[in-house]
This record gives sequence, structure tokens and C-alpha cells, in this order.
Amino acid sequence: MIGNQKTLKIIHAGALQRVVENCVELLIKQNPGLKIKILGVGSREGAKRLLSGEHYDIIALADQALFAELLVPDLVENYFVFATDQLVIGYDRSSKGSKEITQDNWVDTLLDPQVNFARSDHDLDPCGYRTLMVWQLAEKFYGRTGLYEAMEAACIPYSIHPKSLDLAKALFTGKVDYAFLYSSEAEQLELPYITLPSKINLSNPAYANFYDQAVVTVESKIPGKSVILHGKPIEFAIGLSKDSQYPELAQSFVDLLTGSEGYSILEECGLIPC
Amino acid sequence: MDEEMISKFELAIPIDRTIQAELLLLLGQQPSHGYELIQRLNGADFKSGEADPATVYRNLRRMDKDGLIKSHWEVGESGPGRRLYELTPQGLEALKVWTNYLAEQKAKLENFLNTYLHFVKSQLEMDEGRDKP
Repeated sequence: MIGNQKTLKIIHAGALQRVVENCVELLIKQNPGLKIKILGVGSREGAKRLLSGEHYDIIALADQALFAELLVPDLVENYFVFATDQLVIGYDRSSKGSKEITQDNWVDTLLDPQVNFARSDHDLDPCGYRTLMVWQLAEKFYGRTGLYEAMEAACIPYSIHPKSLDLAKALFTGKVDYAFLYSSEAEQLELPYITLPSKINLSNPAYANFYDQAVVTVESKIPGKSVILHGKPIEFAIGLSKDSQYPELAQSFVDLLTGSEGYSILEECGLIPC
Repeated sequence: MDEEMISKFELAIPIDRTIQAELLLLLGQQPSHGYELIQRLNGADFKSGEADPATVYRNLRRMDKDGLIKSHWEVGESGPGRRLYELTPQGLEALKVWTNYLAEQKAKLENFLNTYLHFVKSQLEMDEGRDKP
């Protein structure tokens, strides 16, 4: 029995909401009395919260590169890649053009003036900067000069739906016809979606060199400064805070997530455990 | 792997699972992470088509569970920690079984091609025979 005073704090990518909730449920079963507080945010925002002094025992982010860029070595010693995913275009059955959109005509469908689409905020959410990377790669892949600029100009301002989960809600309410999401989010929310070619959907390490050509500028950890990010295969990672008060409990959570039970949960939630 | 297991294994291997043989071979050459394996697999000259990450990771987990490979988390020195996979003695045996199976498939395909060539040749000879006055 764990004393009631023990509260484990987890900050995680919004896309991992259901994964973390399911793992927390299992960990509490194994440790009756344990309290766990979880907070889902855009991963870039989450890493910056730690930098600003907020304390969490466990950090699970949608981009492993954020650990090296913002958290290691001061706040986190080691971090582990535990899942992969791909970017897709989610929509609702009532979205305009939803009966016609395919992997071959998605660009033209989205650029139709009657259709609206959205992405999340690249300064807060990896899904946001990954969407910009997908558009750049699509321009090269399809040989359509100007595609990236056209997509940027036609997209709903990212400030309206800053996190990828906000986009999902906007799809449900009909405020948005199409949104760039992780396939796991679309699966969990039972939203229909269009998959993109693997050469542009950031899913396959075989295309790491091609993805690397995509470049996005985001706010750095120093206010007013920016940092350049290159495209990489999508990898989710988890790390423990160096100053966790409960390192053993925190490690149990990581062991659970990266063990056979965690594998099942990740798969049920549409992620690829690795 | 005993004789009975090998026999069961041989019966249970559809050709679309050759990715397991490919992964076993690559892991025999050197222990690797999934990320690196996907890159090596797609660069290998014996691979036809694109190996997608979901298929690779699913097969790695299956083989890990079956004892053909083993894995542990390796802390990254300058990057993220990743699960490192390596071949087990059972995996090496399975690779031999796979190689025998593929050699048999190759022989069967060669037999098919040879039979087909004989068939084409006989067709030509028949046509030529018909054309003669």
C-alpha cells in the first residue's frame, strides 16, 4: 500500500491521453493508494513548462528530439523511444468532398475554396511543425511548385486550434472539414482519415534522408529566438525527471508502458510500439 | 529448436512472412534497433518492396516472444535509448530452416521456369511443323 501523500505527476503529449490514462489505471491497480496527476499538452509546450520550473516526475513527448533540444542533461538524464506513428488527414463524414477525397487528390480537395482545413500550432505541438514538413515534402514528392505556400495560405490560422486534439474536436463539431493529425488520434476518435504516401507522412526511417530536407523554424527555449527543425521519422519518447521524488514509482510507469501490457495499450490506441 | 518444432515451423511459414528471415539475417550480421533495422532492410538487395515500420516492429515482437531474438533497452550515449534486438541460438536455427525453405522455393521456381521454357520451345516446334508443306 502506497501512502496517500505520494502523488506522481505526469506530463504528456495530448496525443497520448488515452495511452497514459490506461497505463495509470494499471499502475494504480498495482499500487493501491497511489495518486497520479496527469496533464496533456502540446509536447513543445510541455517541455517548456519544465524549463520554466514546473515539476513532473514523468515526461512523455510526441517528438524524441525535444528531449535533446530542451531537457537533456539539466532536467532529464535518459529518455527512450517507445512508439511511432504517421501523419494523416482526418475528416468527418459530413466534411465537404469527403466522398471524393483520396490519397491521390487530397491536395486539390483541400485547396478547393469551398473546403477548409486546419493544423495545430508549430510552436506548441509537434503535429503542427510536422504538418508543415509534410506540405514541404509533398511539394517535392508531387513536383508541384508552390504547393507549400498555397497550403499555408489556405489553412485556417493555427492559433484557432493550437493542439492536435483541438483539431479533432473541431472536426466533430463541423468547424473544420479536414485536419492533419496522427493516425492514432484518428483511430482513437473513430474519425475517417486519408493516409499519405510513406515518403511524406514521416513514418518510415527508410526515408529519413528525404524527410531531412523539410525545414521549419519554431520558437527556441530562449524567448524571442528561433530554432530550425529538420524533418525526421515520428518517434514518441519518455523520460524521468532527474529530481523526481519517486524515481522507483516513475520507473515502474516506464516499465509498464514499455512492457507487454504497454504494447497492448499502444496498439489498441493505434500507435506502433517499438 | 527440436525436430518436431522445426517441422511445425516449416509447415507454418507462408512466403509473405519471409520478412522474418530477412530480419533474422540482418540481426545475425549485427544487433540493431528497429529504426536501424528498417533502414538496413530497405537498403538490402534481397528486399523487394518497402518494409513498413508496423510490419517490422510486429514481426520483431513476435520473434522476441518466440525466443528467436532477444531484446533489451539500450541507453543512448548521445541520443535516445532504444530497444536493441539480437539473434538467439534458436533464431540462428530458425534462420537455417528459413534458408532451406527458401532454397527449396528457389528450386521449385527454377523448375517452373525450365518447364515453361520447354513448353514454349515445344509450342514453337509444333508451329514450325504446321507451317511446313
